Amino acid sequence: MMASKKYSYILLFNLLLALVIVAPVKAVEESNNKVDILGKLQNHSYLDFTPIGKLELPLLFKDQDGWHFFSSTTAAINSNQGYTDEHYLAHPNADKKIVNGVIKPIAYHLVREDGGHIDYNFSLSSHLAFFLLSGIVLGLIAFPLKSKYASGIGRTSEPKGTFQNMFETLILFVRDDLARPNIGEKKYLFFTPYLLTAFFMILFMNLFGLMPFGVSSTADVTITAALATMTFLVTQIFASKDHWMHIFWFPGVPTPIRLILLPVELVGLITKPFALAIRLFANMASGKVLVYSIIGLIFVFANLFGDAVAYGTSPIIIAFALFIFMIKVVVSFLQAYIFTMLSALFIGMAVAEHEHDHEHESH
Amino acid sequence: MEMAYLDAGLGAGITVIGAGVGIGMIGKSAMEGTARQPEASNDIRTSMLISAAFIEGVALFGEVICFLLATK
Repeated sequence: MMASKKYSYILLFNLLLALVIVAPVKAVEESNNKVDILGKLQNHSYLDFTPIGKLELPLLFKDQDGWHFFSSTTAAINSNQGYTDEHYLAHPNADKKIVNGVIKPIAYHLVREDGGHIDYNFSLSSHLAFFLLSGIVLGLIAFPLKSKYASGIGRTSEPKGTFQNMFETLILFVRDDLARPNIGEKKYLFFTPYLLTAFFMILFMNLFGLMPFGVSSTADVTITAALATMTFLVTQIFASKDHWMHIFWFPGVPTPIRLILLPVELVGLITKPFALAIRLFANMASGKVLVYSIIGLIFVFANLFGDAVAYGTSPIIIAFALFIFMIKVVVSFLQAYIFTMLSALFIGMAVAEHEHDHEHESH
Repeated sequence: MEMAYLDAGLGAGITVIGAGVGIGMIGKSAMEGTARQPEASNDIRTSMLISAAFIEGVALFGEVICFLLATK
């Protein structure tokens, strides 16, 4: 009885809400504003602060005429140097969007008017901007902490203050739970700085993506590929002799099997960092798509069953989207943990020096 | 064109079945192991996460392929 009363209140509330907000939603539908979910994952040459505006980022690229630098996409289009927005190139007859006598881009993708290629693009894009921001935040946290530990606080005495205590928990977790068991007593301290950098960098990039107006750089496969390449390089550069022995000339088995194992091991060398990159990318990208898709259900319901159903279901859908968002916070930490742990595992497998008895047996 | 969407949807579903069965089996064994030997639960959890990460990696390859099919 109580439950049904409660539900009827919710229904009444939603109906009232529907009456209040019906007009603006109709306006949006008429202007045919489509939400581009996959566009939210792409790398743009602007930072999106939508209700306030867009902050265009500088461009630096090389094409057949040499190097070019523009302070923004708008500046590049209005420079009369043969550049235009991709939207205007694709729709030559469409009217251009002009604000205060300046042509504004629509797709924010700069192309040459003659269709030529931009060879090397070093522009500051949204993903790169947030990557650099994470790096700066990491530096702002790491250097004060370093000077604290260097002066003895936390080593000879107790760590002081919320700041140091908070990060010491994570740092000790990476050192004692990830580096030490996976790499081994002898060498783990040498690799802990790299693992800490990777852990905090990924964590900050993931968490910046959850902030308002934030862009999660880790939802870009190029950035995760760069991170995985770092792990690959660290693994291979510091690999022991046994590691290369196991790849090229597997000890302890007959020669024909060694020839079969050689390509398998070589492929395994590449798939490990590849899986690292794809795992991080797919987890962060899918979380983002999931939140937008669940919010998009409101509009799907509005189109299929009418506005009343959409308003009625919107509290449930928003609550569910909020739940997914909470899960994304957990996933941000979990993916940083998994990336760091697998990096430690791969490094540990590569640097391990085996007891040399099984090789003597084979000779 | 529409077939690509159908393929992507079916592929995503089938991939999830495989990954779900795999991770479920890991979870089952890990729970049994922890129940038998609670003192080894930390080691078991680490190995469980590593195995789950590998299965998840394979599943994500499939999902990424479906994603590419759907956005073609």
